[in-house]
Amino acid sequence: MSPIAQFPPRESFLKLDHVSIGFGPENERVNILENVNLSVKENEFVAVIGFSGAGKSTLVALLAGLEQPTAGKVTMAGKPVTRPGPERGVMFQTYSLLPWLSVFGNVELAAKSVFPEKSKREIRGHVEHYIEMVHLTPAMEKKPHELSGGMRQRVSLARTLAMQPEVLLLDEPLSALDALTRAVLQDEILQIWEQEKKTVILITNDVDEAILMADRIIPLTMGPKATLAEAFPVTLERPRERRTLTENPEYQHLKTDITSYLVNLNREARASRGTRIIQMPSVAPKEFRPKSRVIGIGGKHA
Amino acid sequence: MAIKYKILKAINISGMNFLAPVVRLAVGEDPQKQLREIGRFIVVPALAFLAFLLLWSVLAPKHKTKAGEVPTPRVTWEATGGIWRFHDRETRKDEAYQFTGGQRLEALVAAKSRMAELDALETKAKAELATVEASSKEKYDAVVGPVKAAYDKARETTSESRRTRTEALKTEAAALANSGADAREEFIGHLKAAEVTTGKEKTDLDSLKDKYTEVQSIAFPETKKAQRAVTLLAEERQFLVKYIDMLGEGSREVKVTESKAKYDEAKTAFLNAGPDEDLFKLGSSLVKRQELMATTETSSYAKPWTLPKQIVRSLLCVFAGFLLSSLIAIPLGILCGLSPTFMAATAPFVALFKPVSPLVWLPIIMIIVGGFMPDPANHWLILLFGKIPFIGNYKIDPMFLSSAITVALCSLWATLVNTALGVGSVDKDHMNVARVLRLGFWSRLFKIVIPTALPLIFAGLRISLGVGWMVLVAAEILSTSEGIGKFVNDMYTNGSSQSFAQMFVVVFIVGIIGMILDRIMVIFQRLVSFDNASSAI
Repeated sequence: MSPIAQFPPRESFLKLDHVSIGFGPENERVNILENVNLSVKENEFVAVIGFSGAGKSTLVALLAGLEQPTAGKVTMAGKPVTRPGPERGVMFQTYSLLPWLSVFGNVELAAKSVFPEKSKREIRGHVEHYIEMVHLTPAMEKKPHELSGGMRQRVSLARTLAMQPEVLLLDEPLSALDALTRAVLQDEILQIWEQEKKTVILITNDVDEAILMADRIIPLTMGPKATLAEAFPVTLERPRERRTLTENPEYQHLKTDITSYLVNLNREARASRGTRIIQMPSVAPKEFRPKSRVIGIGGKHA
Repeated sequence: MAIKYKILKAINISGMNFLAPVVRLAVGEDPQKQLREIGRFIVVPALAFLAFLLLWSVLAPKHKTKAGEVPTPRVTWEATGGIWRFHDRETRKDEAYQFTGGQRLEALVAAKSRMAELDALETKAKAELATVEASSKEKYDAVVGPVKAAYDKARETTSESRRTRTEALKTEAAALANSGADAREEFIGHLKAAEVTTGKEKTDLDSLKDKYTEVQSIAFPETKKAQRAVTLLAEERQFLVKYIDMLGEGSREVKVTESKAKYDEAKTAFLNAGPDEDLFKLGSSLVKRQELMATTETSSYAKPWTLPKQIVRSLLCVFAGFLLSSLIAIPLGILCGLSPTFMAATAPFVALFKPVSPLVWLPIIMIIVGGFMPDPANHWLILLFGKIPFIGNYKIDPMFLSSAITVALCSLWATLVNTALGVGSVDKDHMNVARVLRLGFWSRLFKIVIPTALPLIFAGLRISLGVGWMVLVAAEILSTSEGIGKFVNDMYTNGSSQSFAQMFVVVFIVGIIGMILDRIMVIFQRLVSFDNASSAI
């Protein structure tokens, strides 16, 4: 679909060059990510895998341009990424749907702002096309709170695709879903990727998911000062069949390798933190919130 | 079945959840559970209210005031009728004044026949009152008689014993002439003792007198009823006399005809005047006649303010204030929510002015508004309001504006703070979406920020309207600007037991209107709450 796809894929289409990012005041800044290097080929499907808290979401924010690195450079097609834009579509873990808009409205908002020159009818067709692509046509007029988690994430996907981004940044899009819905959505995302041929960076904590979907799996070491480790290329043939995949020796091999690598990472990290055990305070949550809410401002509940 | 869910949804949105079990019961859904719910949410509140009425009926008559007994629910209810009758009669007089031709004559015939009926009714009611009074005379005597006898007797014995005492002391004093100091000292002791006894007797007598006075004012329910019937008929007669006048001699039609005749006469006199007559005088008189005719044609009955009209004016005033406060508070709140700097600049004003009572604002505002309008009757703003249909009938004056501004000043804080909070609580993820989509400032504002803040804005507006309504009645009492507050003030100044009861009526009217306003805001609030969560009530 995108005109660039006609040319041979560019080698380092999306690039992180010695990137570091930290938060806090300068003199006591702790780097979340340190010296990260990444080079993604055009139309490549890369999975970044890591433990929670390692800095995966920060990595996405950097790639999207939502955050600026404190050191190093983020470039796309050779140009530095200085601010977010529709050419790098982000699919957030929390769906981030606007709760007062319908499914159609949410996708329409994206389409309208990315293609302001399109007529009303063209926008309608455009939106309907992407809603159809994620199989949500029957729920088009529903509000997000009327949808299940899987359906909401589909809306989020449709919205991201409707921007026609060159790069799809998927920030743990499926981790909040149950296993069955997850599997269905994995297949859908893969199918769409085959059709649209886009560069995809998938952030995940699920090794199976990564192997099933990606061309290359890059582990993120434990934070703080996390960085990307050596990549594991996945050479399994596509399309990959979920049912037969588990019996494939290459798959088993790869899974064992990645898993043990991650387990080692965890062990090293613990060792480096020392044996000091910090007694955590009791943080059992109290139910302060009244049963009914007037002030439901979407967000994570959307 | 679909209709059931529609009704239930409407009930839920309007916040009248206590009706839901009735609907469910009507469609036969789990009757036992619904009956239990009805018991809890309808029967129990109804019983509580009945208990309240009962307690009120019992306690109210126990307290006597300058304006009579504290009105009971029954008296309050009757006062409601009184307020309504006054309004109804004034409206009818107003109409009567403007009736013309057949309509006027028809109404006149009807009024006269009612007047004829009234004669008979009044005679009957008076006779009944006489009978009731005669029959209750015995009862009255039975109650009052013994008390009076006791009082009279006590009075007699007291004066008797006092006389005896004085006599005895006088005798003693006469005998003292030859006695020494000791005896004289003793006599002083006797005198003091006699004083004390007299004082004690007087107190006893006074308490008996009080009892007698109290018992004298006893009114039997049947007498009260008969008296009331007579009073009501007398009031109606008074009304009918005026009403018939308005339909007959005093009607506009008759007045217009009369003034036209006089004009014609003057015109003839002017046109046919001979050379030796004063044409200047005749001409001026003709011009005056013409002017008079024009005023008569457009004249209307000087209808006094009745409570229903005052209520409408109060509502207009509260809406004016509410509109003003919303126009100020929502944009300011949005600015505060968007910019922490602006918020910091605004915070001291909110903290400082929020607690200021409307009773402080009002006089200040009245003076300031008065400064803008040295001649209110000819000020362009007042003239403008006067021209607006409907609103023009409610005499928009500087007092009205001052009350509305006071309402605005006292109620804008809730909206301001809530709007700022709502705008400030925009989800970070939603802002990230906006950044990825590269939405401009206005798109962000209208597509992300305001929709997010809307439920909270409406929560603020709801509080503001409630505060405004409360403030308004106080402001009207102080400013004597026509409205519910003015009515209360008039009743207070009036000081009769009837007006005391009418003040009680106002309590309920203000309460019910406040409740309705709140319900309306709840509905709006729910309609804009995108997550469909039911709001706290």
